[in-house]
Amino acid sequence: MSLVIDRRRMLLGSAAALSAASLAGVSRAIAQETRLRLMWWGSAPRADRTFAVSELFMAANESVVIDGETVGWDDYWPRLATQVAGRNAPDVIQMDYRYIFEYARRGSLAPLDEFLDGTLDLSGFDQATIDGGSVDGSLYGVSLGANSAAMMVNAAVFEELGIPLPDNSLTLARLKEIGDEITANSGRQGFYGIADGSGGEPFLENFLRQKGKALYTADGELAFDVDDIHEWFELWAEMRASGACVPPDVQALDQRQIETGMVSLRRAAISYAHSNQLVGYQAINEEPIVMRAYPRIADGVGGGHYRKPSMFFSVSAQSEQKEAAAAFISFFVNDQEAAAILDVERGVPESAAVRDFLAPQLNEAGRAGVEYIGQLGDLAGPLPPPPPLGAGEIDRTLVRVSEEVAFDQHSPRAGAEAFVAEAQSILERA
Amino acid sequence: MSTIASSPSGVRPRKQGPLVRFLRRDGAGYMFLLPWFIGFFGLTAGPALASLYLSFTSFDLLTDPRWVGAANYVRIATADPKFAASMRVTFFFVLFSVPLKLAFALLVALALNRGMRGLPWYRAIFYLPSLLGTSVAIAVLWRQLFAGNGLVNTFLANFGIEGPSWISNPNYSLSTLVILSVWQFGSPMIIFLAGLRQIPQDMYEAASLDGASKSRQFWKITLPLLTPVVFFNVVVQTIEAFKAFTPAFIISGGTGGPINSTLFYTLYLYQEAFGFFRMGYASALAWILLVIIALFTAFSFLTARYWVHYDD
Repeated sequence: MSLVIDRRRMLLGSAAALSAASLAGVSRAIAQETRLRLMWWGSAPRADRTFAVSELFMAANESVVIDGETVGWDDYWPRLATQVAGRNAPDVIQMDYRYIFEYARRGSLAPLDEFLDGTLDLSGFDQATIDGGSVDGSLYGVSLGANSAAMMVNAAVFEELGIPLPDNSLTLARLKEIGDEITANSGRQGFYGIADGSGGEPFLENFLRQKGKALYTADGELAFDVDDIHEWFELWAEMRASGACVPPDVQALDQRQIETGMVSLRRAAISYAHSNQLVGYQAINEEPIVMRAYPRIADGVGGGHYRKPSMFFSVSAQSEQKEAAAAFISFFVNDQEAAAILDVERGVPESAAVRDFLAPQLNEAGRAGVEYIGQLGDLAGPLPPPPPLGAGEIDRTLVRVSEEVAFDQHSPRAGAEAFVAEAQSILERA
Repeated sequence: MSTIASSPSGVRPRKQGPLVRFLRRDGAGYMFLLPWFIGFFGLTAGPALASLYLSFTSFDLLTDPRWVGAANYVRIATADPKFAASMRVTFFFVLFSVPLKLAFALLVALALNRGMRGLPWYRAIFYLPSLLGTSVAIAVLWRQLFAGNGLVNTFLANFGIEGPSWISNPNYSLSTLVILSVWQFGSPMIIFLAGLRQIPQDMYEAASLDGASKSRQFWKITLPLLTPVVFFNVVVQTIEAFKAFTPAFIISGGTGGPINSTLFYTLYLYQEAFGFFRMGYASALAWILLVIIALFTAFSFLTARYWVHYDD
């Protein structure tokens, strides 16, 4: 027998084979190849949690592969900007309130409104939270948790000295008395009552808001004047003079990380941070850490605090997988298994259903974080407008000028004048 | 005459072109430089030229560069107190760290040059800090040593001295970085040691016979004959000092603080570029640094003939 294949059949056959092969190729691509890149800043425990949730999502959606990248806060912004400039941005981007307007208005983020009907479920979010991630009427960021500024307090020191822990009635005057008492009596080497807060932007903002001012207006102008800053620097000059707070060369060791806060360095009983960081503070401090609200400037005055989205997930405008990215974000903020992994490390979850699910299984630090946000009462006011371009530089300028005052290179008045002038010129330039 | 001219075949050689002569004379040298050329033209030259262009623009990475003419340079020259502050810090660092480091390196090299046993070991040990020098780990270590409750103050406490927190006090923080730099004296030391080895021994013998003291021998023989090596070290170390970045970045946590006391020029440049996304402005700063380094190097070469002795 001989197998004869004429030219026509040969052609037909190969065409069929070819089309079958190409069809198979296409369907395989559809079935397999949705790759999402995800980038966030944060500590190692955050990385573990985030990777675990990515695995969970991939297990539930076999067609999706998620590649995660993580770096620290300081390195994150240069890296993100470089990748966006190189048209190589990750699909899902962790965003901060400070930067979301800048990125959204420059067209680097994708509006997410079109996904709200199905893919992206934010039904458990309250409207204020959704508004907090919106720019010019469109949604650009999904909040991953709420936090607020907070004081980290070493409870062991208070117990040793028999000083009652402060509560929501704490005033600045009382804080100074507490500081003096601890510095005088702690019996610890080189130990002081409180950290020097003069260079801390959240603390200054809290102070200004209680005075009916703010850091910035909605138009991006300075919402304070020289007299306000003078009063602020004077306040801390008195704290330093009496020894209530740490001296300047100790405060200068603080690199604004959990590890270098005055409480973690064991140089003071109170330092300043954000409420979602309690988990991190407790992890590296052997003594019990509790969280307390910032002091009132006088009895009965409040409104300094606010409930703030601690961070967002946004989708890059360059992404070719926007729908899949939105689906991942929806999973991240709604799925119960994911919530159990994420805990409150990124702040208190925004979805009411997730909060209720999580409540009974939180550990002590987690519960304290949730309760802290809930119990602020009249200490909390509305969310301020987003900071303008240049706010990051002004923040650094505050640190420097506060040091100049602390090291006696400026009087509080001269420091206030220098700071306001420099802040204004930064805003004009931005 | 070249070898071709004297070839035994008797064929009259073609007249050599300039290229052939150039290759014969300098070819080997350029072959050694080839890896550098590949790196420079393949990786560095393009971005360097791009930064020259960017220095005349306003560029925030997210939107396209916008041509602003010389505005960046004008601002640097007329309205930038941080530029002035970082210049002061950098010049202080260069003017103190380079001479101190070279003096220290020369002292150690002289001590090691007396034919002691185990010299290779000592050489390696003294060289070690230079190898580790620009690393992050050493800067972190320095931070620990000179912190308020660090090892240095613990040591001083034995003598009843209560030291300040060196790195976080603006009066001492920069000096701490100078000390760190001096401690990394290894690579100039190795070069000094090689230079010392080349000084003919008979000169010292003759000087001894004439009754010249050790210190006179040093000033009249060692130092003059070592000047070419000193010159090389001055040029290289000055350039290095202008470019210093890592120690200040790590020790101040990237801020240049306290109060800009460690705001090295390179650190300021980095802040402008990657902290505040002013790539155009940072590019202008970078080109100014290049010009400053070039001027310093040119100055060194111009003055060299008054103090560097090449005895051949």
